[in-house]
Amino acid sequence: MAKVGVYVCHCGTNIAGVIDVEAVRDYASGLPDVVIARKDLFMCSDSGQEMIKKDIKDGLVDRVVVAACTPRTHEPIFRAACEKAGLNKYLFEMANIRDQNSWVHGHDHAGATAKALKIVASAVGKARNLEPLEEKFVPVTDAALVIGGGIGGISAALELARMGHKTYLVEKEPSIGGVMAQLDKTFPTNDCSACILTPKMVEVYNHPNIVALTYSEVDDVSGYIGNFNVKVRRKQAYVDWVKCTGCGDCASKCPAKVPDRFNAGLSERRAAYIMFPQAVPKKAVIDIDNCLNCAGREIGTEPKVNAKTGKPILAPCEKACPAQAIDRSIAHDPQGEIVEIQVGSIVVATGFQVMEKDWFKEMAPASPNVITALQLERIISATGPSEGKLTRPSDHEKPHVISFLSCMGSRDEHFHSYCSRVCCMYMIKQARLLKEKYPDLVINMHFIDVRSAGKGYDEYYTGARAMGINIFKGKVGGLEMLPGDKLRVLAYDMEGATPIEYESDLVVLATAIELPGDAVSLAQKLGLQFCGSNFFRELHPKLGPVETAVEGLFLAGCCQGPKDIPDTVSQAKGAAAAAAVPLSQGQVKIEPIISEVHPEQCSGCGICAPLCPYHAISLDDYGGHPRAKIEMSACKGCGVCASACPSAAIVLHGYEDTQIFAQIEALTA
Amino acid sequence: MIIDQKKIDEAIETVIGYGGEHIRNCVQCGACSAVCPGVKAGFPLLCRSLIRQLLNGQLEEIIEDSSSWACQSCSRCTEICPRGVRPQEVVFAFRRYQANQLAFSTSSITSQMNLFQTGHAVFVDPKEARKKVGLPEEPPTSAYDEAAQKEIQTLINNSPMGELGLF
Repeated sequence: MAKVGVYVCHCGTNIAGVIDVEAVRDYASGLPDVVIARKDLFMCSDSGQEMIKKDIKDGLVDRVVVAACTPRTHEPIFRAACEKAGLNKYLFEMANIRDQNSWVHGHDHAGATAKALKIVASAVGKARNLEPLEEKFVPVTDAALVIGGGIGGISAALELARMGHKTYLVEKEPSIGGVMAQLDKTFPTNDCSACILTPKMVEVYNHPNIVALTYSEVDDVSGYIGNFNVKVRRKQAYVDWVKCTGCGDCASKCPAKVPDRFNAGLSERRAAYIMFPQAVPKKAVIDIDNCLNCAGREIGTEPKVNAKTGKPILAPCEKACPAQAIDRSIAHDPQGEIVEIQVGSIVVATGFQVMEKDWFKEMAPASPNVITALQLERIISATGPSEGKLTRPSDHEKPHVISFLSCMGSRDEHFHSYCSRVCCMYMIKQARLLKEKYPDLVINMHFIDVRSAGKGYDEYYTGARAMGINIFKGKVGGLEMLPGDKLRVLAYDMEGATPIEYESDLVVLATAIELPGDAVSLAQKLGLQFCGSNFFRELHPKLGPVETAVEGLFLAGCCQGPKDIPDTVSQAKGAAAAAAVPLSQGQVKIEPIISEVHPEQCSGCGICAPLCPYHAISLDDYGGHPRAKIEMSACKGCGVCASACPSAAIVLHGYEDTQIFAQIEALTA
Repeated sequence: MIIDQKKIDEAIETVIGYGGEHIRNCVQCGACSAVCPGVKAGFPLLCRSLIRQLLNGQLEEIIEDSSSWACQSCSRCTEICPRGVRPQEVVFAFRRYQANQLAFSTSSITSQMNLFQTGHAVFVDPKEARKKVGLPEEPPTSAYDEAAQKEIQTLINNSPMGELGLF
């Protein structure tokens, strides 16, 4: 006979403000096998835990039910208390009467109390049938993977490498650097973005503990915390990177022109190209989708021979390459090469994209002089299409009036309801840089309100006002195209309560930050979840900001939500510290709440195997018959197999049939 | 102005009751007023500023203002609003409140009488113009159809408009 102790928590007024805690305690004391029922203001406090420990040590109880908040945050605390008092911690059961009861039924005290009785009865029913379980440990691969080579990924990789862990850094573009490499200067100190980023790029690329795999993507992930098997696809560059010196001769000879994504589409690059001057590694790739196959030089074919000279006719890129790094006769695999790596933990730092202007039909997207802020960043950058000179795209003339429009796609229920957090500040930065360089320029900035919460940010903003930049409170309603490539701005001055109309030469849209489209397939491979704003979901918004629901998988940077460079770097270093934990421990615990097959009961039908989302089930020989077998270390305890087994041969420990039926019985009594 | 929560609640509930149900979503960004032709024409209490006054509980204070009757129902405000306030519906809700309190703009009385009598809020005699271009003088509308006018009058008399006792 089990001796169940029930402990009901007030949780201050969180529970007791709605539910009659005394009535719940009274009721619990009358449930079968319940020997003690107590209550406390905060069961998670020291005194609350001591109460449980004392009852266990005194031999009064051997099953513990705490009716309180959520197991998500508090189960580990109470399990630890049981363990400390000498009780197997899996003999603990939690009844959630807060998140799933008092919080949602605040208007109905009697109903909530009645529901609490049922929840507690159900938990007691299960607790009476609990069995002790044992944890197991498996060794960890001492290596980490960082996905994404922007400033977030670079910071996380460096941190892990400095702690002594081998780290793989995977970047989909030919160079690391991310969006920060596209920026001109950074707020609020006006540091040159490239000047502070390039040393980090070089350091990460040359660090002895770091293997940087650029022009690569994660193809498949299997395994679990401590032992992930990752297939990385190294995309086909069609250039031998061992030989390539990054001279760029191939790019200068290549005739195929493509919009240059690095310059936000403002200029063209060649099909053979080096991403940008400070690229790390500085290697060329051939963008085969846009390659013209000059001289009929399809990849993997022999060159034609010049009838007069008898020499082979080569494509311009291979002819130009002084290092013989381009040989189009080689039958390169268009799929590239798969590299398999084993790692113990993974940091996802895949970053963001900014919305394109075409979404904003009211904002004259057809005008070349309406640009996104990222495009302006390229225009004012020394490595950009105009080499840092402010010109407007339509005629490459210097604009006299320039307008900044905030909240394009952010804080807007047609697009994204969230604030993109960086736009106010980068617009102010761009305006300040322009005003410094061109004092005659008329700069009009339109905000719903200016968000400058950060160290030194508000001073930076008020400084912009002092510099003579015009700041208007009020969102712009529309733009109209005028002759002479000008734009009429339809704005509003909130403080003066008056509409504003004026002509502008260049209009900059601060378009929203969002997760790139390809993040979805990565999320599927990794088992990541999305939050309401469609970014990757962290484990807990306050206390688990770098962790995810998948153990061993951590988040850093804008893939978790919009943030600026300081916040990204902070989070990346935090994610690196968290990712290093299993690596330094050397072993990881395997939860005993996993499924097990009773082979003597199994008919070998095989229904379970394809259902397992973790590929943990195979059919194995047992006494001459095929029988299901579950790989303990791969099982996550989801229970799909147990519920599907027609022979009831699979048991999910911690959720066994007797336990579940006891709960159902209590709930339906 | 004194902040009086009772007045604020009353103003908002009144507007919601008359169909401006999303007024509380407003963050006062002003995009509606940036595109509003009425605001441009100099009517002060349209869109953003009307909503501000209502959120401040100034329902009675602005009851005689004629701005709301200048709304052309072009709906550009509703189109551009990033918060789903549907400002045009707020303007119309405020108008309904004004009408129910018999706080009409004189400019609106004529159009309502026109509507009651001819079925057209704005009615200009078209006969001469039509004759010039060789069309039958009387267009086939309610303006020249007594039976249709009767129907319209019955409808209006049985609607909240009828209860105002204007006709």
